[in-house]
Amino acid sequence: MTTRWNIRWGAVGTYLSFAVFTFIVLLPVYWMLRSAFSLASDLTKVPLIYFPNPTLKNFQTLIGEVPFLQYTLNSLIFALSTTLVTLVVGFIAAYAFARIRVPGSEVILWILLLTMALPDVGTIVPLYQILKNLHLIDTISGITLVMSSTLAPFTVWVLISFIKQIPYEIEEAAILDGASLPQILWHILIPVTMPGLVTMGLINFINAWNNLLYPLSFNNSPASKTLSVAITEIYGGYSPYGKPWELIMAVGVAMTIPTVILIIFSQKAIVRGLVGGAIK
Amino acid sequence: MQAKAEAKRKPFLPSITSLSKLIRRRYLLFVLLVAPAFLLRIATAAYPIFQTILQGFTNFDVIDNTNSFIGFNNYQTIMGDFQVQSAVSFTVLLVIFSTVGDLVVGMLIALLLDSSFRGRGFARTINLIPWAVPTIVAGYGFRWLLDDQFGLLPYWITQLTGYHPVAFINPTLAQTIVILAHIWKDAPFMAVVFLAGLQGVPMDLYDAARVDGANAWLRFWRLTIPLIMPLTVTMGLFRLVWSLGSFDLVYGLTQGGPGEATSVLALQIFRNGIMFFKFGYASAISVILLLFVAVIGLFGLALFRRTEVTY
Repeated sequence: MTTRWNIRWGAVGTYLSFAVFTFIVLLPVYWMLRSAFSLASDLTKVPLIYFPNPTLKNFQTLIGEVPFLQYTLNSLIFALSTTLVTLVVGFIAAYAFARIRVPGSEVILWILLLTMALPDVGTIVPLYQILKNLHLIDTISGITLVMSSTLAPFTVWVLISFIKQIPYEIEEAAILDGASLPQILWHILIPVTMPGLVTMGLINFINAWNNLLYPLSFNNSPASKTLSVAITEIYGGYSPYGKPWELIMAVGVAMTIPTVILIIFSQKAIVRGLVGGAIK
Repeated sequence: MQAKAEAKRKPFLPSITSLSKLIRRRYLLFVLLVAPAFLLRIATAAYPIFQTILQGFTNFDVIDNTNSFIGFNNYQTIMGDFQVQSAVSFTVLLVIFSTVGDLVVGMLIALLLDSSFRGRGFARTINLIPWAVPTIVAGYGFRWLLDDQFGLLPYWITQLTGYHPVAFINPTLAQTIVILAHIWKDAPFMAVVFLAGLQGVPMDLYDAARVDGANAWLRFWRLTIPLIMPLTVTMGLFRLVWSLGSFDLVYGLTQGGPGEATSVLALQIFRNGIMFFKFGYASAISVILLLFVAVIGLFGLALFRRTEVTY
């Protein structure tokens, strides 16, 4: 009897929490979508219009008035090249930490991971000077370099655990067959660590795509600005109705769509990576 | 010495030289493979930290064209700088409240996602949305959601109560909003990690506890909580450290206002260093931020040692 009641109340509680959870998570998302696909004039009416006539006008305005496509391309190049650099650099380092026994390697790994605790903003001033000296200020290469470095330790950490799961015998057999290291990495290890690489690739892509601090601090010409910088500039702009919220939300939606699509299609891979970092 | 010894042995034990060659090759290989990641971190983390500390003792300023050693003057200025003072106090407030909020809400979401109900797959997927929304976009999204003229929440409150709230004028309200927005953005990530932790607790422990007559509540407090405590502490620490340097959400939501009520250290560093080119002064503020990180790190290590539980 009691268990029956427990189950019923438990189910009610579960569905109630599910409803509250869904409402809180999706409310800001609904509000952004509603504003991004609405005419500016529909956003400033009282009583509020919950579902204005959908329009793509804001995106047309963005393409016409700001170099929106250029910014999108910049964001894409930045995120993709950061992903590539972190995967290459992270994978070879992770292989060394996982497979080559060298005294002191644990200390080196520990130092590498310790640098993850540094807040990005704490070194922003010297980074500005370094990029300036290297003539990388206001370039996509510059922010790619800095962002790759920021993401490298976590990438190494997660990839180590993926490589360690692979039985050493596979490589051993290849070594005995006289395969060279590049051959082993390319033909044997990369195919079997593919899930780990995909996971970290997705996480790093999303992190770079979403990053604001570095492009905002270092890049200010249209040729190198990212969408995250563009949205702050549109927020600073004016319109007859005050802040141009329909445009701000349109950029916001444009920035969010790629990441949400990645999540819907690869939720499990992403979770595996996020968790892989926290749980051994 | 070693080379000599090796040379002596060579005729008798050729296998040892080839072994030492192998070991040397192994070292070389290790260094080669780790070097790119390590050098990247030295160039853009270790060296800049060193530079930050040094420049904190200078009046390096691109606009005023000054760059000389001034000892602790920057730190004296900071002591009297109202903006930095407010930033320090709100940073501490934000970091503590949003971390505790993240852990509690993250745990609640994890418990929800761990229980079985129709729509669980959907719940798990949308749980990742706040994590995936770019922080700056979330900042503007909440700003617009709470807009005093045409925002949805103030509109609902007015409809329900007749009272018209203005969110970003009242300092305490603005601070609360910034903290809640941080929790909205980051608690789902905590939930993902906690969920994996919950799933990692062996089921037979629960069965044993049930047999012993422990009810669900008791099982949660006596079994689940102690078992995932190390994970909670680890996540809490990372969260504390990360949120110390958090910048995007405040930049989008309030820009530090009203007044300096929601200003954070990261914003002060950005303003002084990148907007005003006061490199020396911004570096000194960065040093304060780094000190906070160091203190929390040491405190955390001590705490972590005390929470490891085995069953």
